[in-house]
Amino acid sequence: MSVIQLAIIFFIVTNPIGNSPTIIALIKNYTIKEQQRILFREAIFSMLLAIFFLFLGETFLKCLKIENYGLTTSGGILLFLVALKMIFSNEREERASSSQVDPFIVPIATPLLSGAGLLTMIMLYAKQEGSDLKILFAILLAWVGITLVLVTAPYLQIFFGKRGLAALEQLMGMLLAMIAMEMIVQGSSLFISALQLQS
Amino acid sequence: MALLNIVLVLFLIMDPVGSLRSYLSMVDQISSSRRSWIILREMFIALAVMLGFNYLGEYIFGFLSLSETTLHLSAGVILFLIAIKILFTASDSPRSNLPPGEPFVFPLAIPLITGPALMATIMLYAHLEPYQSIMITAIFIAWFISMLIFLFAEPIKKILGKNGLLAAERLIGMVLVLIAVQRFLEGILLFWSTQPHAQ
Repeated sequence: MSVIQLAIIFFIVTNPIGNSPTIIALIKNYTIKEQQRILFREAIFSMLLAIFFLFLGETFLKCLKIENYGLTTSGGILLFLVALKMIFSNEREERASSSQVDPFIVPIATPLLSGAGLLTMIMLYAKQEGSDLKILFAILLAWVGITLVLVTAPYLQIFFGKRGLAALEQLMGMLLAMIAMEMIVQGSSLFISALQLQS
Repeated sequence: MALLNIVLVLFLIMDPVGSLRSYLSMVDQISSSRRSWIILREMFIALAVMLGFNYLGEYIFGFLSLSETTLHLSAGVILFLIAIKILFTASDSPRSNLPPGEPFVFPLAIPLITGPALMATIMLYAHLEPYQSIMITAIFIAWFISMLIFLFAEPIKKILGKNGLLAAERLIGMVLVLIAVQRFLEGILLFWSTQPHAQ
């Protein structure tokens, strides 16, 4: 596969366009300038994570004895917890927590953007293509697009308005719960095949 | 199991980098020479607890007539809940409500360095690892690195910055979730293989 093809695949798997309403709903309490700053930072973090997994992913997982199913399932569980927080967020609690730190790495950079799916995919392609440099270029190329999409995403806020965003949070929480369940189901099926292999 | 695996897992669960912020806020008023003394004392208490669990683990194991499956599952669940608290900082977590003043045993030695998750993990590894010498060496190495990190808390904070520390804390929390889920799933695998119908 060419670099461009790989870059497009990474872009699609990361799904910045589909994820941006969710991400905006997650950080709706910030001004647009701050949101752009947060999203730019998260995009960089997710890219660093992808590059880290490209070169060291396999060693890292082997050192901790983490299997594929563990990676996928834990990503799903984390996302599900985030989704629950989004759906059952009440105003009082939010005001109390607004003084706290902004969403840092979890959940935006990982597992939303650089989720288990992307990370295992990168490791797989790196093995398949046999050239880490090619994958690296593809990642860099994909992240140019991803960063652009994410930085323009806060302008959606103007379109939706404050009330719209609050409604959006509920909807996106529901969708996120589904994405999370999908990951857990995938992890479970990987787990079951490991179970059958064992017995 | 290789020595390196055990060292890495124990070090990650001790999570000295993640505890740095709590530690620094705790010793804010205390002079630096006093701090080193506190750290040495607390670390030796922690080491004693760890070694104690390493040796006594097997007896506790027999005394409560636990099975290896139980140990896997409970270590997984405990570690998972602790990691979730690191990722989603709640106002009721022990990390944010530390008693001010000089720490003695609580909260630095137990539970920040040697928490319940570490004790359960040491018990599990002491059971799995046939050679006690490897276990002891692993505990010493992980403990020593943690002590170095606590001793050089100030320079590390200066290098990483406030956000860097937070990022490190989150990343380690993420890895802890991975370890926890993997451990739990391994417990299920083990449970499955010990059931009569598997044969």
